[in-house]
Amino acid sequence: MFGISLPQSFLQMNTIFISILIEALPFVTLGVLISGIIQIFVTEEMIAKIMPKNRVLAVIFASFLGILFPSCECGIVPIVSRLVSKGVPISAGIAFMLTAPIINPVVLFATYIAFGSDWKMPLYRGVGAIIVAIVTGIFIAYRYKGNPFKENYHHHHHHHEKTTFWKKVWRTLEHAVEEFFSMGKYLVIGSLIAAAVQTYVKTSTLVSIGQGPASSSFVMMALSFILSLCSEADAFIASSFRTTFSTGSLLAFLVFGPMVDIKNLMMMLATFKKRLVLMIVVAVFVIVFGYSLLF
Amino acid sequence: MIRSLILIGFTYLIFHLHITGDINKYINMKYSYLSAAAGYALLVLTIVQILMLNKEPSKDAGCDHDHCGHNHSKEDKWYKKLYIYPIFAFPIISGLFFPIATLDSNIVKAKGFHFPIYDEGQGDSFMQQQFLRPDTSVYYGKDDYDTLMKKEKKKYVNQSTIILNDKNYLKGMETIYNFPGDFLGKEIEFKGFVFNDKETIDKNQLFVFRFGVIHCIADSGVFGMLVDMPEGTKLKNDEWVTVKGKISTIYYQPFKTNIPYLKVEEWSKTAAPKEQYVFRGY
Repeated sequence: MFGISLPQSFLQMNTIFISILIEALPFVTLGVLISGIIQIFVTEEMIAKIMPKNRVLAVIFASFLGILFPSCECGIVPIVSRLVSKGVPISAGIAFMLTAPIINPVVLFATYIAFGSDWKMPLYRGVGAIIVAIVTGIFIAYRYKGNPFKENYHHHHHHHEKTTFWKKVWRTLEHAVEEFFSMGKYLVIGSLIAAAVQTYVKTSTLVSIGQGPASSSFVMMALSFILSLCSEADAFIASSFRTTFSTGSLLAFLVFGPMVDIKNLMMMLATFKKRLVLMIVVAVFVIVFGYSLLF
Repeated sequence: MIRSLILIGFTYLIFHLHITGDINKYINMKYSYLSAAAGYALLVLTIVQILMLNKEPSKDAGCDHDHCGHNHSKEDKWYKKLYIYPIFAFPIISGLFFPIATLDSNIVKAKGFHFPIYDEGQGDSFMQQQFLRPDTSVYYGKDDYDTLMKKEKKKYVNQSTIILNDKNYLKGMETIYNFPGDFLGKEIEFKGFVFNDKETIDKNQLFVFRFGVIHCIADSGVFGMLVDMPEGTKLKNDEWVTVKGKISTIYYQPFKTNIPYLKVEEWSKTAAPKEQYVFRGY
Protein backbone atom coordinates (compact mmCIF):
# COMPACT_ATOMS: atom_id res chain seq x y z
CA MET A 1 0.00 0.00 0.00
CA PHE A 2 1.34 3.43 -1.02
CA GLY A 3 4.55 1.76 -2.12
CA ILE A 4 5.94 1.84 1.39
CA SER A 5 5.80 -0.94 3.87
CA LEU A 6 4.77 0.00 7.34
CA PRO A 7 6.14 -2.05 10.23
CA GLN A 8 3.85 -4.81 11.44
CA SER A 9 3.70 -3.36 14.94
CA PHE A 10 2.44 -0.07 13.57
CA LEU A 11 -0.30 -1.85 11.65
CA GLN A 12 -1.26 -3.76 14.77
CA MET A 13 -1.43 -0.52 16.70
CA ASN A 14 -3.59 0.94 13.97
CA THR A 15 -5.88 -2.08 14.04
CA ILE A 16 -6.28 -1.83 17.81
CA PHE A 17 -6.86 1.91 17.45
CA ILE A 18 -9.63 1.43 14.88
CA SER A 19 -11.20 -1.27 17.01
CA ILE A 20 -11.31 1.03 20.05
CA LEU A 21 -12.89 3.71 17.88
CA ILE A 22 -15.49 1.34 16.47
CA GLU A 23 -16.30 0.14 19.96
CA ALA A 24 -16.60 3.68 21.31
CA LEU A 25 -18.46 5.28 18.40
CA PRO A 26 -21.92 3.90 19.25
CA PHE A 27 -21.62 5.29 22.76
CA VAL A 28 -20.19 8.62 21.68
CA THR A 29 -22.92 9.02 19.08
CA LEU A 30 -25.55 8.14 21.65
CA GLY A 31 -23.90 10.60 24.05
CA VAL A 32 -23.97 13.51 21.62
CA LEU A 33 -27.57 12.75 20.67
CA ILE A 34 -28.66 12.70 24.32
CA SER A 35 -26.68 15.88 24.85
CA GLY A 36 -28.63 17.41 21.97
CA ILE A 37 -31.94 16.26 23.40
CA ILE A 38 -31.08 17.73 26.79
CA GLN A 39 -30.03 20.97 25.15
CA ILE A 40 -33.25 21.40 23.22
CA PHE A 41 -35.95 19.61 25.18
CA VAL A 42 -34.91 19.93 28.82
CA THR A 43 -35.41 23.30 30.41
CA GLU A 44 -33.77 24.84 33.46
CA GLU A 45 -37.15 24.77 35.18
CA MET A 46 -37.51 21.03 34.72
CA ILE A 47 -34.09 20.42 36.24
CA ALA A 48 -34.75 22.80 39.11
CA LYS A 49 -37.89 20.84 39.86
CA ILE A 50 -36.18 17.44 39.97
CA MET A 51 -32.87 18.30 41.60
CA PRO A 52 -32.88 18.51 45.41
CA LYS A 53 -32.04 22.03 46.61
CA ASN A 54 -29.61 20.84 49.24
CA ARG A 55 -26.12 20.46 47.76
CA VAL A 56 -25.34 17.19 49.50
CA LEU A 57 -28.71 15.69 48.64
CA ALA A 58 -28.24 16.75 45.03
CA VAL A 59 -24.92 14.92 44.89
CA ILE A 60 -26.41 11.77 46.41
CA PHE A 61 -29.40 11.92 44.09
CA ALA A 62 -27.13 12.33 41.04
CA SER A 63 -24.91 9.44 42.14
CA PHE A 64 -27.82 7.02 41.92
CA LEU A 65 -29.24 8.43 38.70
CA GLY A 66 -26.77 6.40 36.68
CA ILE A 67 -28.68 3.20 37.44
CA LEU A 68 -31.13 4.21 34.74
CA PHE A 69 -28.50 5.16 32.29
CA PRO A 70 -26.80 2.56 30.15
CA SER A 71 -23.79 4.60 29.20
CA CYS A 72 -20.15 3.96 28.72
CA GLU A 73 -17.56 6.50 29.87
CA CYS A 74 -16.93 7.62 26.29
CA GLY A 75 -20.35 9.21 25.91
CA ILE A 76 -20.82 10.68 29.34
CA VAL A 77 -18.82 13.93 29.22
CA PRO A 78 -21.00 15.74 26.65
CA ILE A 79 -24.12 14.71 28.56
CA VAL A 80 -22.78 16.04 31.86
CA SER A 81 -21.57 19.31 30.41
CA ARG A 82 -25.02 19.85 28.91
CA LEU A 83 -26.76 19.07 32.18
CA VAL A 84 -24.49 21.46 34.05
CA SER A 85 -25.09 24.27 31.58
CA LYS A 86 -28.82 23.64 32.17
CA GLY A 87 -28.46 24.36 35.86
CA VAL A 88 -27.45 21.07 37.45
CA PRO A 89 -24.85 21.93 40.12
CA ILE A 90 -21.37 20.97 38.94
CA SER A 91 -20.86 18.78 42.01
CA ALA A 92 -23.96 16.74 41.18
CA GLY A 93 -23.00 16.61 37.51
CA ILE A 94 -19.59 15.19 38.38
CA ALA A 95 -21.13 12.65 40.75
CA PHE A 96 -23.37 11.50 37.92
CA MET A 97 -20.44 11.38 35.51
CA LEU A 98 -18.46 9.16 37.87
CA THR A 99 -21.14 6.57 38.63
CA ALA A 100 -23.09 6.33 35.37
CA PRO A 101 -20.54 4.21 33.50
CA ILE A 102 -20.38 1.73 36.42
CA ILE A 103 -23.67 1.28 38.21
CA ASN A 104 -25.89 0.74 35.19
CA PRO A 105 -27.39 -2.76 34.78
CA VAL A 106 -25.40 -3.65 31.66
CA VAL A 107 -22.02 -3.05 33.26
CA LEU A 108 -22.92 -4.70 36.55
CA PHE A 109 -24.22 -7.75 34.74
CA ALA A 110 -21.02 -7.98 32.68
CA THR A 111 -19.05 -7.84 35.93
CA TYR A 112 -21.24 -10.58 37.37
CA ILE A 113 -20.53 -12.84 34.39
CA ALA A 114 -16.82 -12.05 34.29
CA PHE A 115 -16.33 -12.98 37.91
CA GLY A 116 -17.87 -16.39 37.64
CA SER A 117 -21.54 -15.57 38.17
CA ASP A 118 -21.06 -14.08 41.58
CA TRP A 119 -22.81 -10.96 42.82
CA LYS A 120 -20.13 -9.91 45.30
CA MET A 121 -17.80 -8.30 42.77
CA PRO A 122 -20.49 -6.19 41.02
CA LEU A 123 -21.79 -5.25 44.45
CA TYR A 124 -18.40 -4.09 45.71
CA ARG A 125 -17.81 -2.33 42.42
CA GLY A 126 -21.14 -0.49 42.51
CA VAL A 127 -20.84 0.45 46.16
CA GLY A 128 -17.28 1.66 45.58
CA ALA A 129 -18.38 3.81 42.65
CA ILE A 130 -21.18 5.39 44.67
CA ILE A 131 -18.89 6.14 47.62
CA VAL A 132 -16.27 7.70 45.34
CA ALA A 133 -18.90 9.77 43.50
CA ILE A 134 -20.59 11.06 46.66
CA VAL A 135 -17.35 11.99 48.40
CA THR A 136 -15.87 13.59 45.27
CA GLY A 137 -19.13 15.43 44.59
CA ILE A 138 -19.36 16.84 48.11
CA PHE A 139 -15.68 17.77 48.00
CA ILE A 140 -16.27 19.70 44.78
CA ALA A 141 -19.47 21.26 46.13
CA TYR A 142 -17.54 22.86 48.98
CA ARG A 143 -14.10 23.35 47.46
CA TYR A 144 -14.79 24.43 43.92
CA LYS A 145 -16.18 27.87 43.25
CA GLY A 146 -16.78 29.63 39.99
CA ASN A 147 -17.34 28.67 36.40
CA PRO A 148 -16.60 24.98 35.80
CA PHE A 149 -16.19 25.38 32.05
CA LYS A 150 -13.10 26.27 30.10
CA GLU A 151 -13.12 29.85 28.79
CA ASN A 152 -13.43 28.86 25.17
CA TYR A 153 -16.02 26.19 25.87
CA HIS A 154 -19.04 27.29 23.89
CA HIS A 155 -22.18 28.11 25.71
CA HIS A 156 -25.42 27.69 23.96
CA HIS A 157 -27.89 30.26 25.00
CA HIS A 158 -31.32 29.18 24.30
CA HIS A 159 -34.45 31.09 24.33
CA HIS A 160 -37.61 29.28 24.97
CA GLU A 161 -39.80 30.69 22.32
CA LYS A 162 -42.49 28.46 20.88
CA THR A 163 -41.25 26.31 18.06
CA THR A 164 -42.64 23.25 16.37
CA PHE A 165 -41.61 19.80 17.48
CA TRP A 166 -39.82 19.05 14.23
CA LYS A 167 -37.84 22.24 14.40
CA LYS A 168 -36.71 21.15 17.84
CA VAL A 169 -35.70 17.74 16.51
CA TRP A 170 -33.71 19.45 13.81
CA ARG A 171 -31.91 21.64 16.33
CA THR A 172 -31.22 18.60 18.49
CA LEU A 173 -29.45 17.00 15.55
CA GLU A 174 -27.57 20.18 14.70
CA HIS A 175 -26.41 20.31 18.25
CA ALA A 176 -25.38 16.66 18.16
CA VAL A 177 -23.19 17.35 15.12
CA GLU A 178 -21.47 20.23 16.92
CA GLU A 179 -20.86 18.08 19.95
CA PHE A 180 -19.58 15.22 17.81
CA PHE A 181 -16.87 17.45 16.44
CA SER A 182 -15.93 19.02 19.73
CA MET A 183 -15.62 15.62 21.48
CA GLY A 184 -14.55 13.47 18.53
CA LYS A 185 -11.03 14.78 18.25
CA TYR A 186 -10.28 13.88 21.86
CA LEU A 187 -11.75 10.44 21.35
CA VAL A 188 -9.46 9.90 18.38
CA ILE A 189 -6.34 11.10 20.20
CA GLY A 190 -7.20 9.17 23.36
CA SER A 191 -7.83 5.95 21.43
CA LEU A 192 -4.58 6.38 19.55
CA ILE A 193 -2.58 6.79 22.77
CA ALA A 194 -4.29 3.80 24.35
CA ALA A 195 -3.57 1.67 21.27
CA ALA A 196 0.07 2.76 21.22
CA VAL A 197 0.48 1.87 24.89
CA GLN A 198 -1.09 -1.54 24.36
CA THR A 199 1.24 -2.28 21.47
CA TYR A 200 4.50 -0.83 22.67
CA VAL A 201 4.49 -0.87 26.47
CA LYS A 202 5.03 -4.14 28.23
CA THR A 203 2.15 -4.75 30.61
CA SER A 204 4.10 -7.51 32.29
CA THR A 205 6.76 -5.09 33.55
CA LEU A 206 4.07 -2.94 35.05
CA VAL A 207 2.35 -5.94 36.58
CA SER A 208 5.58 -7.21 38.06
CA ILE A 209 6.05 -3.95 39.99
CA GLY A 210 2.94 -4.28 42.08
CA GLN A 211 2.57 -7.14 44.50
CA GLY A 212 2.08 -5.51 47.88
CA PRO A 213 -1.44 -4.33 48.78
CA ALA A 214 -0.72 -0.64 48.18
CA SER A 215 1.50 -0.99 45.13
CA SER A 216 -0.81 -3.50 43.46
CA SER A 217 -3.77 -1.12 43.75
CA PHE A 218 -1.60 1.59 42.33
CA VAL A 219 -0.48 -0.55 39.42
CA MET A 220 -4.01 -1.68 38.61
CA MET A 221 -5.26 1.91 38.58
CA ALA A 222 -2.44 2.90 36.25
CA LEU A 223 -3.30 -0.07 34.05
CA SER A 224 -6.98 0.81 33.85
CA PHE A 225 -6.02 4.39 33.00
CA ILE A 226 -3.78 3.49 30.10
CA LEU A 227 -5.81 0.61 28.71
CA SER A 228 -8.90 2.90 28.47
CA LEU A 229 -11.25 -0.05 28.20
CA CYS A 230 -14.97 0.22 27.82
CA SER A 231 -16.63 -0.26 31.19
CA GLU A 232 -18.62 -3.14 29.76
CA ALA A 233 -15.51 -5.09 28.87
CA ASP A 234 -13.07 -4.22 31.62
CA ALA A 235 -14.43 -6.76 34.11
CA PHE A 236 -13.31 -9.59 31.83
CA ILE A 237 -9.81 -8.16 31.76
CA ALA A 238 -9.81 -7.70 35.51
CA SER A 239 -10.91 -11.28 36.03
CA SER A 240 -7.93 -12.52 34.05
CA PHE A 241 -5.70 -10.85 36.63
CA ARG A 242 -7.27 -12.47 39.63
CA THR A 243 -4.52 -15.01 40.10
CA THR A 244 -1.86 -12.35 40.30
CA PHE A 245 -3.78 -9.56 41.99
CA SER A 246 -5.81 -9.13 45.16
CA THR A 247 -9.51 -8.38 45.22
CA GLY A 248 -8.78 -4.85 46.43
CA SER A 249 -6.54 -4.02 43.52
CA LEU A 250 -9.00 -5.55 41.04
CA LEU A 251 -11.66 -3.29 42.51
CA ALA A 252 -9.32 -0.33 42.12
CA PHE A 253 -9.04 -1.28 38.44
CA LEU A 254 -12.80 -1.65 38.02
CA VAL A 255 -13.74 1.56 39.80
CA PHE A 256 -10.94 3.87 38.66
CA GLY A 257 -10.88 2.93 34.96
CA PRO A 258 -14.40 4.01 33.99
CA MET A 259 -14.01 7.23 35.98
CA VAL A 260 -10.62 8.35 34.73
CA ASP A 261 -8.91 6.97 31.65
CA ILE A 262 -6.97 8.46 28.75
CA LYS A 263 -10.01 8.86 26.50
CA ASN A 264 -12.30 10.58 28.97
CA LEU A 265 -9.53 12.61 30.60
CA MET A 266 -8.94 14.21 27.20
CA MET A 267 -12.65 14.91 26.88
CA MET A 268 -12.89 16.33 30.41
CA LEU A 269 -9.92 18.62 29.76
CA ALA A 270 -11.63 19.86 26.62
CA THR A 271 -14.73 20.81 28.57
CA PHE A 272 -13.89 21.72 32.14
CA LYS A 273 -11.31 23.99 33.74
CA LYS A 274 -7.97 22.33 34.43
CA ARG A 275 -8.25 22.98 38.15
CA LEU A 276 -11.60 21.19 38.31
CA VAL A 277 -10.34 18.19 36.33
CA LEU A 278 -7.30 18.01 38.61
CA MET A 279 -9.55 18.03 41.68
CA ILE A 280 -11.68 15.24 40.21
CA VAL A 281 -8.70 13.07 39.31
CA VAL A 282 -6.96 13.53 42.66
CA ALA A 283 -10.13 12.95 44.68
CA VAL A 284 -11.07 9.84 42.69
CA PHE A 285 -7.54 8.50 42.96
CA VAL A 286 -7.31 8.95 46.73
CA ILE A 287 -10.76 7.53 47.47
CA VAL A 288 -10.44 4.53 45.16
CA PHE A 289 -7.06 3.82 46.68
CA GLY A 290 -8.47 3.95 50.20
CA TYR A 291 -11.46 1.81 49.23
CA SER A 292 -9.25 -0.84 47.64
CA LEU A 293 -7.25 -1.21 50.85
CA LEU A 294 -10.40 -2.28 52.70
CA PHE A 295 -10.42 -5.62 50.87
CA MET B 1 -17.51 21.36 3.95
CA ILE B 2 -14.60 19.45 5.46
CA ARG B 3 -16.88 18.42 8.31
CA SER B 4 -19.33 16.88 5.87
CA LEU B 5 -16.52 14.93 4.29
CA ILE B 6 -15.35 13.71 7.69
CA LEU B 7 -18.81 12.53 8.64
CA ILE B 8 -19.23 10.85 5.26
CA GLY B 9 -15.86 9.20 5.85
CA PHE B 10 -16.81 7.81 9.27
CA THR B 11 -20.17 6.59 8.03
CA TYR B 12 -18.57 5.00 5.00
CA LEU B 13 -15.88 3.36 7.11
CA ILE B 14 -18.44 1.66 9.32
CA PHE B 15 -20.64 0.45 6.48
CA HIS B 16 -17.61 -0.62 4.51
CA LEU B 17 -16.43 -2.80 7.39
CA HIS B 18 -19.88 -4.30 7.80
CA ILE B 19 -20.40 -5.03 4.13
CA THR B 20 -16.97 -6.53 3.52
CA GLY B 21 -17.23 -8.48 6.75
CA ASP B 22 -13.91 -7.11 7.97
CA ILE B 23 -15.68 -5.88 11.07
CA ASN B 24 -15.01 -9.24 12.73
CA LYS B 25 -11.31 -8.45 12.64
CA TYR B 26 -12.03 -5.59 15.02
CA ILE B 27 -14.93 -6.54 17.25
CA ASN B 28 -16.87 -9.49 18.60
CA MET B 29 -19.73 -9.95 16.14
CA LYS B 30 -22.08 -10.35 19.04
CA TYR B 31 -21.91 -6.59 19.41
CA SER B 32 -22.02 -5.75 15.72
CA TYR B 33 -25.55 -4.38 16.06
CA LEU B 34 -24.11 -1.55 18.15
CA SER B 35 -21.71 -0.39 15.48
CA ALA B 36 -24.38 -0.85 12.80
CA ALA B 37 -26.68 1.40 14.83
CA ALA B 38 -23.83 3.91 15.14
CA GLY B 39 -23.46 3.75 11.36
CA TYR B 40 -27.09 4.75 10.85
CA ALA B 41 -26.87 7.48 13.50
CA LEU B 42 -23.78 8.88 11.79
CA LEU B 43 -25.61 8.77 8.48
CA VAL B 44 -28.30 10.97 10.00
CA LEU B 45 -25.68 13.36 11.40
CA THR B 46 -24.00 13.47 7.99
CA ILE B 47 -27.27 14.46 6.31
CA VAL B 48 -27.86 17.10 8.97
CA GLN B 49 -24.37 18.48 8.48
CA ILE B 50 -24.82 18.68 4.70
CA LEU B 51 -28.16 20.44 5.09
CA MET B 52 -26.61 22.83 7.61
CA LEU B 53 -24.00 23.63 5.01
CA ASN B 54 -26.70 24.72 2.60
CA LYS B 55 -28.47 26.84 5.15
CA GLU B 56 -25.37 28.59 6.39
CA PRO B 57 -25.21 31.71 4.21
CA SER B 58 -28.62 32.96 5.28
CA LYS B 59 -27.86 32.22 8.92
CA ASP B 60 -24.64 34.16 8.99
CA ALA B 61 -26.24 37.18 7.40
CA GLY B 62 -29.26 37.36 9.63
CA CYS B 63 -28.05 35.67 12.76
CA ASP B 64 -31.53 35.40 14.15
CA HIS B 65 -31.17 34.95 17.81
CA ASP B 66 -31.88 31.26 18.15
CA HIS B 67 -29.03 30.46 15.83
CA CYS B 68 -26.44 32.67 17.41
CA GLY B 69 -24.04 30.56 19.29
CA HIS B 70 -24.23 27.67 16.88
CA ASN B 71 -21.83 27.14 14.04
CA HIS B 72 -18.75 27.28 16.15
CA SER B 73 -16.77 26.06 13.25
CA LYS B 74 -16.89 29.65 12.08
CA GLU B 75 -15.26 30.87 15.25
CA ASP B 76 -12.41 28.37 15.10
CA LYS B 77 -9.09 29.83 14.13
CA TRP B 78 -7.71 28.68 10.79
CA TYR B 79 -4.60 27.16 12.40
CA LYS B 80 -6.79 25.06 14.67
CA LYS B 81 -8.46 23.51 11.67
CA LEU B 82 -5.03 22.69 10.41
CA TYR B 83 -4.55 20.07 13.11
CA ILE B 84 -8.12 19.22 14.10
CA TYR B 85 -9.26 17.97 10.71
CA PRO B 86 -6.21 15.80 10.11
CA ILE B 87 -6.95 14.17 13.49
CA PHE B 88 -10.41 13.23 12.26
CA ALA B 89 -9.13 12.23 8.85
CA PHE B 90 -6.46 9.89 10.19
CA PRO B 91 -8.69 7.00 11.35
CA ILE B 92 -10.75 7.21 8.17
CA ILE B 93 -7.68 6.91 5.98
CA SER B 94 -5.87 4.36 8.10
CA GLY B 95 -9.05 2.33 8.60
CA LEU B 96 -9.86 2.19 4.92
CA PHE B 97 -6.45 1.89 3.34
CA PHE B 98 -3.99 0.35 5.77
CA PRO B 99 -3.98 -3.43 5.81
CA ILE B 100 -5.70 -4.92 8.84
CA ALA B 101 -3.12 -6.53 11.08
CA THR B 102 -3.76 -9.66 13.06
CA LEU B 103 -2.63 -9.81 16.64
CA ASP B 104 0.25 -12.21 17.12
CA SER B 105 3.16 -13.02 19.41
CA ASN B 106 4.25 -9.39 19.17
CA ILE B 107 1.21 -8.38 21.18
CA VAL B 108 1.59 -11.32 23.54
CA LYS B 109 5.04 -9.96 24.38
CA ALA B 110 3.59 -6.54 25.12
CA LYS B 111 0.45 -7.60 26.91
CA GLY B 112 1.69 -10.69 28.66
CA PHE B 113 -0.58 -13.59 29.48
CA HIS B 114 -2.41 -14.89 32.49
CA PHE B 115 -4.20 -18.09 33.17
CA PRO B 116 -7.43 -18.23 35.05
CA ILE B 117 -6.20 -20.53 37.78
CA TYR B 118 -8.78 -21.28 40.43
CA ASP B 119 -8.35 -22.93 43.74
CA GLU B 120 -9.56 -26.40 42.92
CA GLY B 121 -7.22 -29.33 42.83
CA GLN B 122 -4.17 -27.26 43.52
CA GLY B 123 -1.50 -28.55 45.85
CA ASP B 124 0.98 -26.54 47.83
CA SER B 125 1.04 -23.75 45.36
CA PHE B 126 -2.54 -23.12 46.29
CA MET B 127 -1.45 -22.17 49.79
CA GLN B 128 1.05 -19.74 48.38
CA GLN B 129 -1.61 -18.18 46.24
CA GLN B 130 -3.89 -17.86 49.20
CA PHE B 131 -1.15 -16.17 51.10
CA LEU B 132 -1.05 -13.50 48.43
CA ARG B 133 -4.80 -12.99 48.40
CA PRO B 134 -6.11 -14.03 51.78
CA ASP B 135 -9.82 -13.54 51.39
CA THR B 136 -10.53 -14.59 47.85
CA SER B 137 -11.78 -18.10 48.50
CA VAL B 138 -14.72 -16.73 50.45
CA TYR B 139 -15.23 -14.14 47.88
CA TYR B 140 -15.55 -16.07 44.67
CA GLY B 141 -18.91 -17.39 45.81
CA LYS B 142 -18.10 -20.99 45.13
CA ASP B 143 -21.66 -22.29 45.14
CA ASP B 144 -23.09 -20.53 42.11
CA TYR B 145 -19.96 -20.72 40.11
CA ASP B 146 -19.38 -24.35 40.89
CA THR B 147 -22.78 -25.39 39.65
CA LEU B 148 -22.24 -23.53 36.43
CA MET B 149 -18.75 -24.86 35.87
CA LYS B 150 -19.63 -28.41 36.89
CA LYS B 151 -22.28 -28.43 34.21
CA GLU B 152 -19.63 -27.35 31.74
CA LYS B 153 -17.24 -29.94 33.06
CA LYS B 154 -19.71 -32.81 32.61
CA LYS B 155 -19.92 -31.97 28.93
CA TYR B 156 -16.21 -32.57 28.50
CA VAL B 157 -15.08 -35.08 31.08
CA ASN B 158 -16.98 -37.99 29.60
CA GLN B 159 -15.65 -37.53 26.11
CA SER B 160 -12.72 -39.76 25.26
CA THR B 161 -11.00 -37.09 23.19
CA ILE B 162 -11.85 -33.46 23.74
CA ILE B 163 -11.56 -31.44 20.58
CA LEU B 164 -11.60 -27.69 21.01
CA ASN B 165 -12.70 -25.79 17.92
CA ASP B 166 -13.49 -22.14 17.22
CA LYS B 167 -16.81 -22.38 19.02
CA ASN B 168 -15.90 -24.10 22.26
CA TYR B 169 -12.28 -23.02 22.61
CA LEU B 170 -12.71 -20.40 25.32
CA LYS B 171 -15.29 -22.31 27.36
CA GLY B 172 -13.30 -25.52 27.09
CA MET B 173 -10.05 -23.88 28.17
CA GLU B 174 -11.75 -22.21 31.08
CA THR B 175 -13.22 -25.49 32.21
CA ILE B 176 -9.88 -27.25 32.04
CA TYR B 177 -8.20 -24.52 34.04
CA ASN B 178 -10.96 -24.71 36.61
CA PHE B 179 -10.77 -28.45 37.12
CA PRO B 180 -7.29 -29.50 36.10
CA GLY B 181 -7.58 -32.49 38.39
CA ASP B 182 -10.57 -33.93 36.55
CA PHE B 183 -8.86 -33.65 33.22
CA LEU B 184 -5.57 -35.29 34.18
CA GLY B 185 -4.68 -37.92 31.59
CA LYS B 186 -7.52 -36.84 29.29
CA GLU B 187 -6.78 -36.59 25.64
CA ILE B 188 -7.34 -33.21 24.09
CA GLU B 189 -6.77 -31.63 20.71
CA PHE B 190 -6.66 -27.98 19.79
CA LYS B 191 -5.15 -25.50 17.40
CA GLY B 192 -3.30 -22.27 18.01
CA PHE B 193 -0.20 -20.24 17.30
CA VAL B 194 3.18 -20.85 18.86
CA PHE B 195 4.60 -18.57 21.50
CA ASN B 196 8.00 -19.09 23.07
CA ASP B 197 8.98 -17.26 26.22
CA LYS B 198 12.26 -17.28 28.05
CA GLU B 199 11.09 -20.02 30.39
CA THR B 200 10.32 -22.43 27.60
CA ILE B 201 12.80 -21.50 24.90
CA ASP B 202 15.54 -23.84 26.13
CA LYS B 203 13.24 -26.76 26.75
CA ASN B 204 11.01 -28.75 24.46
CA GLN B 205 8.18 -26.57 25.64
CA LEU B 206 6.18 -23.79 24.12
CA PHE B 207 2.80 -22.17 24.44
CA VAL B 208 -0.05 -22.68 22.02
CA PHE B 209 -2.34 -19.69 22.16
CA ARG B 210 -5.31 -18.08 20.52
CA PHE B 211 -6.53 -14.55 21.01
CA GLY B 212 -9.91 -14.40 22.71
CA VAL B 213 -12.00 -11.31 22.12
CA ILE B 214 -14.61 -9.94 24.51
CA HIS B 215 -15.85 -6.75 22.87
CA CYS B 216 -13.17 -5.52 20.56
CA ILE B 217 -9.63 -6.63 19.94
CA ALA B 218 -8.32 -3.94 22.27
CA ASP B 219 -9.62 -6.01 25.16
CA SER B 220 -8.42 -9.33 23.78
CA GLY B 221 -6.11 -11.65 25.62
CA VAL B 222 -4.44 -14.94 24.85
CA PHE B 223 -5.88 -18.24 25.97
CA GLY B 224 -4.14 -21.53 25.56
CA MET B 225 -1.80 -23.98 27.16
CA LEU B 226 1.79 -24.79 27.82
CA VAL B 227 2.69 -27.80 25.69
CA ASP B 228 5.52 -30.29 25.89
CA MET B 229 6.70 -31.13 22.39
CA PRO B 230 8.53 -34.28 21.32
CA GLU B 231 12.32 -34.13 21.71
CA GLY B 232 14.06 -31.70 19.41
CA THR B 233 11.03 -29.92 18.00
CA LYS B 234 11.56 -26.21 17.66
CA LEU B 235 8.91 -23.94 16.29
CA LYS B 236 8.97 -20.26 15.60
CA ASN B 237 6.56 -17.79 17.11
CA ASP B 238 3.28 -17.39 15.22
CA GLU B 239 3.46 -20.72 13.43
CA TRP B 240 0.05 -22.37 13.59
CA VAL B 241 -0.07 -25.90 14.90
CA THR B 242 -2.61 -28.53 15.84
CA VAL B 243 -1.57 -30.39 18.96
CA LYS B 244 -3.00 -33.54 20.48
CA GLY B 245 -1.96 -35.14 23.73
CA LYS B 246 -2.68 -35.85 27.36
CA ILE B 247 -3.23 -33.24 30.04
CA SER B 248 -0.90 -33.09 32.99
CA THR B 249 0.14 -30.33 35.36
CA ILE B 250 3.49 -28.70 35.81
CA TYR B 251 5.01 -26.12 38.13
CA TYR B 252 5.49 -22.91 36.21
CA GLN B 253 8.08 -20.73 37.89
CA PRO B 254 6.95 -17.25 36.73
CA PHE B 255 3.46 -17.84 38.11
CA LYS B 256 4.73 -19.74 41.15
CA THR B 257 1.97 -22.27 40.73
CA ASN B 258 1.01 -25.48 38.98
CA ILE B 259 -0.62 -25.00 35.63
CA PRO B 260 -2.18 -27.56 33.29
CA TYR B 261 -0.03 -28.53 30.37
CA LEU B 262 -0.24 -30.83 27.44
CA LYS B 263 2.13 -33.70 26.77
CA VAL B 264 1.98 -33.71 23.01
CA GLU B 265 1.72 -37.06 21.26
CA GLU B 266 0.76 -35.92 17.80
CA TRP B 267 1.15 -32.55 16.21
CA SER B 268 1.16 -30.97 12.81
CA LYS B 269 1.68 -27.56 11.31
CA THR B 270 -1.51 -26.07 9.96
CA ALA B 271 -2.51 -22.99 8.09
CA ALA B 272 -3.88 -20.15 10.17
CA PRO B 273 -7.66 -20.45 10.36
CA LYS B 274 -9.80 -17.95 8.53
CA GLU B 275 -10.95 -16.50 11.80
CA GLN B 276 -7.87 -16.35 13.96
CA TYR B 277 -9.63 -14.99 16.98
CA VAL B 278 -12.07 -16.81 19.19
CA PHE B 279 -14.97 -14.85 20.60
CA ARG B 280 -16.57 -14.92 23.98
CA GLY B 281 -20.14 -15.97 23.53
CA TYR B 282 -21.69 -14.40 26.57
